[in-house]
Amino acid sequence: MSTHAQAPAALPMTKAAAEKKYPAKMPRHGNASVYRTVVIGLLAIAVLAPVGLIIYQSFLSAAFFSPRAKFGLDAYRYVFTDRNFYKALGTTAVFSFGMVAIAVPLGGLLAFLITRTDIKGKRLLEILVLVPMFISSIVLAFGYTVSVGPTGFVSLFIRGLIGFVPWNIYSLPGMILIAGLSHVPHVYLYVSSSMRNLPSDLEEAARTTGASIWQVSRDVTLPMVLPSLIFAASLNILLGFETFGIPLVLGDPNGIMVLTTYIYKLTTLFGTPTYQLMAVVAVVLILITLPLVWAQRKLLKNARKYVAMGGKGARVATLKLGRGGQVIALSIIGFWLFVSVVLPIGGITVRAFVDAWGEGVNLFAQLTFANFDHLLEVPSLVRGIINTVILSVVGGAVAVGIYLMVGLAGHRNWGASNTLLDYIVLLPRALPGLVIGLAFFWVFLFVPLLTPLRPTLISIFVAYVVVGLSYGLRLLQGTLLQVAPELEESARTTGATIGRTWKDVVIPIVRPGLAGAWALIMIIFLREYATGVYLMGAGTEVIGSLMVSLLQTGAMNTIAALSLISVVLTGAGLALALRLGAKIHD
Amino acid sequence: MNTKTVRSLAAATALLGFSAVSAWAQDVPAGYPADYAAIIEAAKKEGTVSIYTSTDAAQSQKLQDAFTAKYGIKIAYNDLGTNGAYNQVISEAAASQVTADVVWSSAMDLQMTLVQDGYAEEYASPEAANLPAWATYKNILYGTTVEPIGMIYNTKALTEDKLPKTYADLITFLKDNKGELQGKVATFDPEKSGSGFLNHSNDAKNRPDFWDLAKAMGDDGVKIYSSSGGMKETVVSGENVIAINIIGSYALDWIKESPNLGVHFATDYTPAFSRLALVTKGAPHPNAAKVFVDFMLSKEGQSLLAEGGLPSVREDVSAGLNIKTLNERVGGGLKPIAVDEGVLEYMDQMKRVQFLNDWKAALGR
Repeated sequence: MSTHAQAPAALPMTKAAAEKKYPAKMPRHGNASVYRTVVIGLLAIAVLAPVGLIIYQSFLSAAFFSPRAKFGLDAYRYVFTDRNFYKALGTTAVFSFGMVAIAVPLGGLLAFLITRTDIKGKRLLEILVLVPMFISSIVLAFGYTVSVGPTGFVSLFIRGLIGFVPWNIYSLPGMILIAGLSHVPHVYLYVSSSMRNLPSDLEEAARTTGASIWQVSRDVTLPMVLPSLIFAASLNILLGFETFGIPLVLGDPNGIMVLTTYIYKLTTLFGTPTYQLMAVVAVVLILITLPLVWAQRKLLKNARKYVAMGGKGARVATLKLGRGGQVIALSIIGFWLFVSVVLPIGGITVRAFVDAWGEGVNLFAQLTFANFDHLLEVPSLVRGIINTVILSVVGGAVAVGIYLMVGLAGHRNWGASNTLLDYIVLLPRALPGLVIGLAFFWVFLFVPLLTPLRPTLISIFVAYVVVGLSYGLRLLQGTLLQVAPELEESARTTGATIGRTWKDVVIPIVRPGLAGAWALIMIIFLREYATGVYLMGAGTEVIGSLMVSLLQTGAMNTIAALSLISVVLTGAGLALALRLGAKIHD
Repeated sequence: MNTKTVRSLAAATALLGFSAVSAWAQDVPAGYPADYAAIIEAAKKEGTVSIYTSTDAAQSQKLQDAFTAKYGIKIAYNDLGTNGAYNQVISEAAASQVTADVVWSSAMDLQMTLVQDGYAEEYASPEAANLPAWATYKNILYGTTVEPIGMIYNTKALTEDKLPKTYADLITFLKDNKGELQGKVATFDPEKSGSGFLNHSNDAKNRPDFWDLAKAMGDDGVKIYSSSGGMKETVVSGENVIAINIIGSYALDWIKESPNLGVHFATDYTPAFSRLALVTKGAPHPNAAKVFVDFMLSKEGQSLLAEGGLPSVREDVSAGLNIKTLNERVGGGLKPIAVDEGVLEYMDQMKRVQFLNDWKAALGR
C-alpha cells in the first residue's frame, strides 16, 4: 500500500523516465512473465528430458547407447503386431475405467461426509480413510492374498461357515474392486481439499428451504467441486493405466496381463532387456494421456465458474446429519474401511509376525519377531528405512515448495506456457514408474553435469518430484483456483506487484492447503516403489524399491516386515501433519 | 601408485623368507602367489569395493562383514536384481562411468553375455584350482555357488512317500492326480523370470521328456509365478499344493522354519545353477575387486556363503552344504549347469521366441 501512496504521478513523464524513477518496485508491466517462463521452462526440461529420451529410444533398434542401435520403426512393428499387446491394452482399459467407476463416487461421497457434515469421529476418520494410500499397491495386493486369498484367514473362516469361498481375488473383477477401493483416498484427498474451502452459506440456504442432505450434496456441493472430481477421475484413469503391483500379484498367476506387466515382461522376454519395445509401450501410454489432458482442459476452460472462496465469510459450518444419517454414513464408511483397510493391513500385519500361514496353520503357534530381527541385522535395509524417512519428510517439504512455485507460475496464466504446463504435468504420471525411473537413471548417467548427483538421494528426489508432479501440483492448483480473482485484482490495483500479491494475498489464503499437500506428498514419496528401482544404489536404498528387488527372490518375510514399518511410519507422519494442519485451520 | 615398486618390494619380502614378517604379508592366504601381498596392499588403498548383485543382502551379510573385518575394505553392496545389475553395467560402460567392480549374479546367461560383449576383465584367481572345472570359464567368470532346482510341496496335502521319485515319475504323478492337483500346481514363468527361463530351457536341453512335463503341468492348470519366494508363499498357505522347478537351496532353508513345507528332488535328475562372479572392465577399484572375488571363492568365504544358505562349489567346505553333501541330499542326481557358452544358446532371439511359443503351446495358453 505504501507504493500506492508514493505514486500519484503528478508530473507527466515519459515512459523511459518513469521506468528510471520507479525501478523494479513499481508494477509497471503487470505480469510475471520472466518468472513464469523460467519456472515452466525448468520444469519442462525436467519432465521432457526423460520423456524425450523414451520417445527417441522407441525409434531405435537397440539401447540408445549401443553402437548397434539403428533408426527405424522395427520396435513399433513388433509391438503393433503382437497379439498380447492388444490383449493387454484391452484389459488395461477395462481395469482403469472399472477402477474409476468405483473410486470416484466413493471418494466424493467420503469427502462430502467428512468435510461437510457433522459426522462423528471426524479427526480419526480423516486419518483412517487415507490408510490404503500408505501402502504400495504391490504390498496391498499381497495383504489381500493373506486375508481374502483362496486360503486367506478370512476366506477360511467364511468357508467354515458356508462351505465355500464366494469370491476370487485372482480375477479381473477382483482386481478392479481392489484397485478401485484402494484408490478412493486419492479421490478423497482432491475432493476434500476443495470441499473444505467451500463456504457453507449455499448449502445452508438449500437446507433451510427444505432440501434433503442428499439433494444438497448433489445439487449444491457436487457442482462446486466438479473440477476436483474431474481432476481426480482423469488422474485415476492414468493411475489405472500405470498400476503395476495389483496386476502383478493378483493377475499374473492366471495370465491376466495389463500394459505395465506387459512392459515388465519385455525386460526378460528376450533375455536381455529390450528397451526399445518398453519405450514403444511407454509412447503408447503418452499418446493415451494427451487426449485425456485435452478433454480435461476443455471441461475446465471456464475456471471462474468454480470460484468459491470469496474475500470473506469462508468459514465452514457443517450440515447436520441427524441420528439416522449418522448411522447410515458411519456404516458405509465402516464397511469400506473394513474392506480396504482392515483386510489388507490385517493381512500384512499377520504376515509380518508369522512365517507360515494358510490352510491348517495355527497362526498363534507361528507368532514371531524373527522377521524384524532379520531385517535389523542387514545394514542396507536399515539404511533404506532411514533414507525413506529423509526423502519423504524433508524431500516432501521441498517438493511442496517446488510445486507451489510451479503452481504460482501457472496461476492466472492463460498464455501458451500454461497450455504447455497442463500437458507436461500429467505426462510423467502416465508412464510406469519403472520406465520413468530408468529414463532418469540414464539422464543422470549421460548428462555430464548431473553425473555426480547419481549416487546421491538427490537423483531419486528429482525423479520423485517429477513423478509426484501431477498429484502435488493439481492439489495446489485446485486451492489456488479458489482464491477469488477480486482479491488479487484489488491488491494489484492498489499497486502491489504480482510477487507481492502472491506473497501477501494468495499464499496466506492457501497456506492451510500447504500442510495437507506436504502430508500427501510425504505419503506419495513413502509408498513409491518402481521409480527408484534403477536409481537406488548402495547407500541410497529406499523401502519401496528394496521391496521390488526383494520380490525377485521372494523374501516375503522381509517384505512383510518392511511394509508394516512403512505403514507405521506413514501413519505417524500423517498424524503429525494433521496436528500441524489443524493448528493452521483454527 | 607405482606397481613396479610394490612388486619388487613384494618380491624382496618373499626372498627374506619366513623370518621377515611384514605387516601386510601376513594377510596373504596360504597357497597364493607371493606378490599377492601387493594386490592386497593396493586393495586396501582403494578402500572400497562396489558389488552389483542379484543376491539379497541378508544371504551374503556374513560374507560381507567378514571381508570388511579382514581387509578393512568397505563394501558398497548394490542389490539390483539380475536385470538391474546387467542394465547398470552396460549403461555405465556406455557413459564411461563404470562404478561396478564386481558383478555377482545368478543370471548365468546375462553374466556370460557381459563376458562375451567385453564388459569383464580377465583375472586368474589363485582359488580357481580349488573349484570344479565346470565352475570356471577362461579365467574370467567364476561359479560361487551350486544351487539345485527342485520342488516344494505342502506337507498337509502331500506326504513324502506319495511324491514322484524320478523325473519321469513326476510326469506320471501330474497326470494321475489331475483331479486333486487341478489349479494347485505352480511353476516359474519363463517369460517374466530369467531364472525361470534358465531352469526350463536347461531342462528342455537335457530332458527329451521336458515337453511332456510341460504338457502335464498345463493339463493340471498350472499357475505361473515370477519368483521362488512368491511360489513358496502360495504353497505354505495351501493355495498351491506343489511348486515345480524352484530354487531348491532357498527351499532347504525355508523348510527349517515353515512347518507345513517340504522340499523334494528327483533322484535321477537335479540340475543346479551357479551364481557367477566377474571383475568389470575398467573397474574403479580393480585390486579390491580381485581380493573380493578371491575371498568369495576361498574356503572361508565359501563357508560363510554356505551358512547363509548358498551351497558351496568346494568339497572342502564343512559349513552348510557343499557340492558333495548337496548331491547326497538331493538323492545323487545333481547336474550342475556348466559355466560355458552353452548358457548362451537361448540368447539367440529366434530360438528364444521359439522356446516360449512351444512353452505356451504345451501349457495350452
